[in-house]
Amino acid sequence: MLFFAAFCLITQLVAAQDAVTGVVTDSQGVPLLGVNVIEKGTNNGTTTNFDGEFEIVVGDTGTLVFSFVGFLSQEINVSAGEEISVTLDEDSQSLEEVVVIGYGTQLQEDISGSVSRISAEEFENVPQVSVDQLMQGRAAGVAVTKNSGQPGAAVSVRIRGVNSITGSSEPLYIIDGVPVSGEAGSEGLSPLAALNPNDIESVNVLKDASATAIYGSRGSNGVVLITTKKGKIGKSNLSYSGYIAVQRPTNKLDVMNLQQYATHQNNVAAIYELDPQMEFLNPSLLGPGTDWQAEIFDDALQQNHQISFSGAQEDINYFISSSYTDQEGTVIGSAFDRLTVRANINANIKDWIKTGINITASRTNDQITLNNASNGIISLSLLNNPATAVYNPDGSFAGPVTADEIAYGTRNPIAEALSIQNTVERNRVLGNIFLEFDLPYNFSFRTELGGDFGNTLRDRFQPTYSYGNIESGQNQYSATRENSDFWIMKNLLTYTNTFNEDHDLTVLLGQEVQESSWQGVTAQDGRFVSNSLPVLGQGNANDLVDQYIGSSALESYFGRAIYSYSNRYNVTASLRADGSSKFAEGNKWGYFPSVSASWRISNESFMEDFETLQNIKLYGGYGEVGNQNIPNFAYGVRLTPISTGLGTGFEYANYKNEDLTWESSTQTNLGIDFALFNSRLNTTVEVYNKVSKDFLFQFASTDFITGGASPGAIQAPYINLGEMVNKGIDVTLSYNTIGDSDFNWSSTLTFSHYKNEVTKLLGDLVINQALYISDSNQNITLTQVGEPVGMFYGYQVEGLFRTTADLENAPIQFGRPVDDALFGTTWLGDIKYKDVNGDGVVDSDDRTVIGNPHPDFTFGFQNNFSYKNFDLSVFLQGSYGNDIFNGVKRTLTAGSSYYVNQFPIVLDYYNINNTDGQQPRLVRGSEANPNIRISDRYIDDGSYLRVQNLTLGYTLPSDVSERLHLNNLKIYGSVQNLYTLTNYEGYDPEVGTFNQNTLLMGVDNGRYPSPRTFTLGLNVEL
Amino acid sequence: MKNYFKSKILVVVAAVFCFASCSEDFLDRPPEDSYNVEEFYSTNAEVAAAANHLYSRPWFNFVSNVSWGIGELSSGNARTWDARNSEFGTFAITGAHGTLTQAWESLYAVIAQANSVINTLPTNVSADISEDVTNNSVAEARMIRATAYFYLVRIFGSVPIIEDNTQYVLDPQVPRNRVEDIYQFITMDLEYAVENLYDRTSNPNYEVGRVSSNSAKAMLAKVYLYEENWDMAYQLSNEVINSGAFSLMEDYNDLFLLENDNNVESVFALQWTDSGSYSEGNALQSFYGSSGITGFADGWSALGPSISLQEAYEEGDRRYYATIMEPGAYYPDLNGGYTVPESTNFQGTGVGIKKYVVGNVGGAQQSYPNNTYIMRYAEVLLIKAEAAIKGGGPANEGLQALNEVRERAELDPLDSYTFEDVFHERRVELALEGEFWYDVVRQGPDFAVDFLADQEKGTYDQSVTPAVVTSEKFTPTMDDLLFPYPTNEIQNNPALLEEPVPYDFNQSEDQE
Repeated sequence: MLFFAAFCLITQLVAAQDAVTGVVTDSQGVPLLGVNVIEKGTNNGTTTNFDGEFEIVVGDTGTLVFSFVGFLSQEINVSAGEEISVTLDEDSQSLEEVVVIGYGTQLQEDISGSVSRISAEEFENVPQVSVDQLMQGRAAGVAVTKNSGQPGAAVSVRIRGVNSITGSSEPLYIIDGVPVSGEAGSEGLSPLAALNPNDIESVNVLKDASATAIYGSRGSNGVVLITTKKGKIGKSNLSYSGYIAVQRPTNKLDVMNLQQYATHQNNVAAIYELDPQMEFLNPSLLGPGTDWQAEIFDDALQQNHQISFSGAQEDINYFISSSYTDQEGTVIGSAFDRLTVRANINANIKDWIKTGINITASRTNDQITLNNASNGIISLSLLNNPATAVYNPDGSFAGPVTADEIAYGTRNPIAEALSIQNTVERNRVLGNIFLEFDLPYNFSFRTELGGDFGNTLRDRFQPTYSYGNIESGQNQYSATRENSDFWIMKNLLTYTNTFNEDHDLTVLLGQEVQESSWQGVTAQDGRFVSNSLPVLGQGNANDLVDQYIGSSALESYFGRAIYSYSNRYNVTASLRADGSSKFAEGNKWGYFPSVSASWRISNESFMEDFETLQNIKLYGGYGEVGNQNIPNFAYGVRLTPISTGLGTGFEYANYKNEDLTWESSTQTNLGIDFALFNSRLNTTVEVYNKVSKDFLFQFASTDFITGGASPGAIQAPYINLGEMVNKGIDVTLSYNTIGDSDFNWSSTLTFSHYKNEVTKLLGDLVINQALYISDSNQNITLTQVGEPVGMFYGYQVEGLFRTTADLENAPIQFGRPVDDALFGTTWLGDIKYKDVNGDGVVDSDDRTVIGNPHPDFTFGFQNNFSYKNFDLSVFLQGSYGNDIFNGVKRTLTAGSSYYVNQFPIVLDYYNINNTDGQQPRLVRGSEANPNIRISDRYIDDGSYLRVQNLTLGYTLPSDVSERLHLNNLKIYGSVQNLYTLTNYEGYDPEVGTFNQNTLLMGVDNGRYPSPRTFTLGLNVEL
Repeated sequence: MKNYFKSKILVVVAAVFCFASCSEDFLDRPPEDSYNVEEFYSTNAEVAAAANHLYSRPWFNFVSNVSWGIGELSSGNARTWDARNSEFGTFAITGAHGTLTQAWESLYAVIAQANSVINTLPTNVSADISEDVTNNSVAEARMIRATAYFYLVRIFGSVPIIEDNTQYVLDPQVPRNRVEDIYQFITMDLEYAVENLYDRTSNPNYEVGRVSSNSAKAMLAKVYLYEENWDMAYQLSNEVINSGAFSLMEDYNDLFLLENDNNVESVFALQWTDSGSYSEGNALQSFYGSSGITGFADGWSALGPSISLQEAYEEGDRRYYATIMEPGAYYPDLNGGYTVPESTNFQGTGVGIKKYVVGNVGGAQQSYPNNTYIMRYAEVLLIKAEAAIKGGGPANEGLQALNEVRERAELDPLDSYTFEDVFHERRVELALEGEFWYDVVRQGPDFAVDFLADQEKGTYDQSVTPAVVTSEKFTPTMDDLLFPYPTNEIQNNPALLEEPVPYDFNQSEDQE
C-alpha cells in the first residue's frame, strides 16, 4: 500500500510537464475512483483518485486503455499534455451475468436450471412496503396475488402452479443466506414486511427442481434468493430517497340506499307476515340514508423515507441504511409502520481471508381490522342498515336499538373498528456473518452463521363501549408476547479449477444445521375500572395465562458439481440429504438429487456465420425436492390441557401417523434462450412438468371420527396423500434499444401458463373444503382425481321457474313439494337447479364443478421509456380465465333477511306483480332457502388487466446537479393500481388465496380491496 | 510458510466436516409444552384426571345452540325470529343447517375423546396404578360416551357406532348401525359404568362433580323408558331413589344458582369453569339472558318461552318464577338484586327467561361457570312415576314419586295420576333444559305430529290491551321427527344413506 502510494507520488513528480490529465466519470457524470489507466502495450499505468482524476506520462502520442470492473473498457488516443474527460459506459451485460444460485453464483450463460432475476431497478420507486408484492408480474412462472389490501398484509406467491395442499404453497425465501418461510402467521401479515425493499440489490427466483434441489427439503415451492446491496467501488455516496403517497379506495359496491332499503324491508316484512316498520310506511319520503362504505373507506396517507451511505475502498465495502415507512389503511382503523436499519460490510482481512456481515433490524407495527370474513368490517358495512346513523347528534356512536335488530346482528362497524384496538408489533433482527478462506490447491472454504431473531407483541383491547342498545359489557385485554429464534450454520468447501483451458469444474460440498425455536405467553385480563389503563393486573377479571414452547430442527449434507466445457456445454449435478425433526425415527431422512445440462449453441464454430439468432442456449434439467411443512410431532399424540370444573382436563389433540414422511416433488424443465435483432430482443421459453407426490395433508376425515369443527374435536392426522401434476410454460420477452440516443425504450413481457391436475388421491377420496360464510359452513371447493385442485363446487342454475308448467315438469327440488307457500316449497320465482345426474330429482348429488380458480395465463408487461432526462415506466399486469367465488354477492343477494342491507338488484325479485323479475322470489328462512345454495350464480369471471404502475420521473441534468454539489437528483410521480379492466363485480378481482389455503383460491368473502395510490417521490445522491 | 499454514486450515476444515454431524437427539423433538400421550398416565392423579375433559369442552356447541334448538324450539316450548334457528321451530331444518351440524360434530367429539380414554388407559397406565382408579376413569368415559350416543340416536336415529376412531380415521367409510344395536351399545356402556364407577356416598375416592355408580344407573333407567322396558326402568329408578345417593333441593329456584353447582339433586352435570377461555364455560345464558345481564356483550334473548309453555304452568307453580321472567318480577340473587324490566318481550312472547341465567359471575362471553344439567334427581322420580303408571311397578309408589316433585314446586299433591300427568310434569319440570322434544317424539309419530302441530309458537300483539295472540303453528311430517344427517357427512361417507347394518359386538369384547 505504502509502496503504491509512493509510486504514485514519484510518477507525479517526475512527469509533471508532459502528463496527460483528465477525469473519468460514469454515464451519469459521477467520478469513478480506482479506474485503471494504462498506456497500451506498456507497463505504464495509474489509477484514478477520489475525484476521478488521473495523470499519466506518455510519449508524444499514445493510446490509453481505461478499464474498470463493471464498465466497458475504452481506448483513447492521446498526445502529451492533453487534458481529456472520459465517460465509461456500464457493462450492463456483465452486471447481469452473475446470477445468485443456491450456495454460490454462476454466470448467466452457464446456468442450466430455471432462474429468473429481478433487479432492484425494476421496482425502484414503487410504493409497496414489502418485496413479495414487488415481485408481481416481474418473472415468468411466478404468480403473485395480494390476499388483502390491509397494509403489511401477506400475499400469495405461487411458483409454477400449486404444488402442495398442506395449506401453503408459499416459496422459501433466502435473505442473504438466511432462510425465511413465506407463510403468513395467524394475522395474515407478510413475513417479509420486516425487510426494506430499498435495501435489495436483486431477487433471483429458482423455479425448477434442478435449481432448488440444493435446498432439498424446503425447495418444493421454489426458492426466492434475496441479495441486499453492497457498497460499490468508486461510488461513495450518501443518498436519500423518499415519497409521500395518497391511497384512495378504488370503487364502492352499489348497495341499497335508504329508500330502496325501506321498500325491501316492507317486502320482507310481508313475507314474514309482520307489520311493516312504522318509519318505512312511505319510502319515498326518506332520504338516502347512511352510506356505510363511505364511512369506513377513506383516503389514506403513506410515506417512506430512507437514507443510505455506501462506498468501497480496496479491501472493504459497506452499505448502511435506515428507513421509515408509515402507511395508513384505506379502511379506517388499519395501519402499518416500519423502521429499519441495515449494515452490510465486507472486508478482505488478508488476501486470502474475507469476512462480512449483513444485518438488519426492524420494527413493524400493524393495526388490524377484521376482514375477509362474514363478520369483518367490510361485510358488516355492506350489510348495515342505512337507516341507522354512524353518530348520534351528541357525537357518540349510534347503533341498533331494538332487540330484533340486535338479534339480526346489526352492528355499527365504525364503532367496532374504532373501539377495538388490535395491534401487532414485531421486532426482528436478521443477518449473517461469514468467513471465507482461499486455500491451496484451488479450494476455498466458507463458514457462515445466520440468525433470525424475532419478538412479537400482540395486543387486543376491547374497551367498554355502547352504541344504540349494544353494550360491550366488560372491557377485556389480551396480550401475547412471543420470542422466536432461528439460527443456521453452514460450512461450505468449494473447489474450482480449469483444466487445459477448456474444462471448468466447480465442486461444492456443504453441511448445514438449523434450528428454530419459539415460545410465547398469552395473557388476558378484564373488568378494568376504566378504559384508560389496559395493563395486565389492573383488571379484576379471571386472569387467563397460557404458554407455548416448541422447536424444530433440520440437519443437512449436500454436494454439487458444475462442469463446463469450452463455454459450450455445461452439466450440473447435486445431491442433498436432509434430516428433519418433523418425522418419526426411520422416516427422518430424505434425499434429493438433481441433474441439469445446457448447450450454448451460439458458441459452436459452425454457428459463427449464423446471425439471425444470437445467444442461443438450450438447457434442461431434472430434480427432486421435498416438503416437510407440517406441525411438529404429527407422528405422535399430544394432550391439550383445558380448564374444567374438575380441574385441568387433558384433551387428545390429534390422531397420530407414525408413517408420515417427506412430501416430494420431481420436476423436469426444458428451456431455450435466444436473442434477435442484434441481441435487442431476448427470449426465454421454458416448459416444465412437475409431479408432486406423497403430499402432506391434514386428512379431512369425517366429522363423526374427529368431531369436525367442535371444540374438543380431535384433529385428523397428517398423511402423505396422492399425487398432483403441474405442467406449464413460461415465456419472457425483453426488448431493449441499445444505444445512446436521447430516446431509449425497453420492455419486458412475462407470460405464464400452467395446468394443474390431481392425478392420485388416497383411495377414491375427494377433498371438500368448506368456508364459514354468513352463519354457516358452506362447502365451496372440491378436489378430486382428474381435476385441478380446489375447483368450485355447487349447483348449476337454469333460471327461475316462471310458469306452472315449468314447475310441474321439472324434477322435484330438495324434496320440496310444488306449492304456493312462503317456505318449505318450490314455487314460481324459485331458482331452477339443473338435475346434473339426471336421476329425476335435484338434491346434493347434483352438485358439480362450477368454476375454476386457476387462470389460463397470467402476464406482466413492463415498459420503460426515457427521453433525455425524463423517464416513464408503465407496468401492466393481469390474469385471464380464472373464476372467483363471490361470497359477498351471496350474502348481499340472499334477499329474505330482515334488517340487513342488500344489492339493489334484489328489488327486482320475482313476484306476482313482477313476473319478469331477475332475482328469485322472497321466502322465509335463511339457511333453508334453497335459492341461496352454493351455485354458479356466485361464480364470477376473475380475469383482469391492471395498469399496476405508471411512473414519470425527471433527473436533473448532471451539470445542474454538479452545481448544486449533488451526484444525482431525481423527482418522480407515480400512480399505483391506476386502472383495472375487469368484469368482476366485487371490489377487486385480485383475490388471492383465502388465508393462504390452497383449497380456497379465488374466494372473496369481503376482501380488503387494494387502494389506488398516488405518489410523489424524490431521490437525491450526494 | 503461508502455504503451510493454509494447508493446516484445510485439515481443520476437513475435521469440521467429519465432526459436524450433530448429536443424536438434535432431530428428536417431542412436544415441549404439552404432555405426550405415551408419557402420561404415570401417577394415580393423572389417571384420575383422565376423564375431566369429557365433562366440558366437547359438549360446548351441543349445549350452546343445539340443546335448545331441538329441545325447546322444535318441541314447541319456545319460539324465535332469529333467522338462524327459527327453522327448528318451523320444521324446515336441512342437512346443511349449521346448528344441526354442530349437534353431530359436538356429540361425536365427545365420543372421540371418550374412545381415546377408553382405549388408551388400559394399555398406557403404569403398572403401579390401582385398578380401581383406572376402571373408574374408564367407566366415566363409558357413561359419557353412552350419553352422547343416547342423544345421537334420539336426534338422528341410526348412526355409525364408533368404538375405536383410529381404526377408521384414514378410511372413514362406515355404515350406520341399527337403532336397537345403538341402544344395546349404550346399555353395555352404562352397565359397565354402574359396576365400575365409585359410589357417591360410600367410596372415599369419589370426587364431587363426577358421575357415580348411581348416576349411571339413573341414566340406564331413562334409557329403558325409551325402550319401553317399564320393569327395568322402574327397578333401576327405584334402586337409585332407595340408595339415598341423591335428594331434591328444597327450593326449585336454588337449582340454578351458581353456588349450588353439584348439589344433592345433581345426577350428572357438565362441569364448566370461569376460566374465560371460549368453550370452557356454559353459554346458555348468552342466549337465554337479556342484554346487559351477563356483564358481557352477549345476552341475546335468542328465544322466548312459547305461549304453549307459558300456559302449561299451573297456578302457583314455583317453577314458573325460576324458569320464566315475568316483567316486574324481582330476583334477589341475580346481580345483587334484579327487577325484570317492563319492556321485556323475548321474541314477541311478552316474557323473558330465568333458567340458567346466573348474571355477572365471571367467566367471559359465552363461557360462564354454572353447570349444565344432563340429569337431575327430579327426573329420576319422574322416571319411576312413568314406569309405574305404564305397568312397571305399583302405581301408588309412582304417585308418591310424582307428588314429591309436585310438592317441591309448591303444588298440591295428586290423588291419582295418569301418564298424561307425568308427561305434563316433565314438560314444566324440565322446561328449557333441552329435554322436551325427546319426550314428545318417544310417544310415537301419531301422537308427536298432532301434539307438535298444536303448539302455539305465535306472538303476543302488545299494541292492544289485553294483548292478543298472533298465532303461528307448524305441522311437522313424520320424517321431521328425526333430523337429517349433515350434508357434508353424507358426502364424505355415502354409506350413511345405506340400510343400517347390525353392529358387531365382538369388537367390544375383544377390547375388554
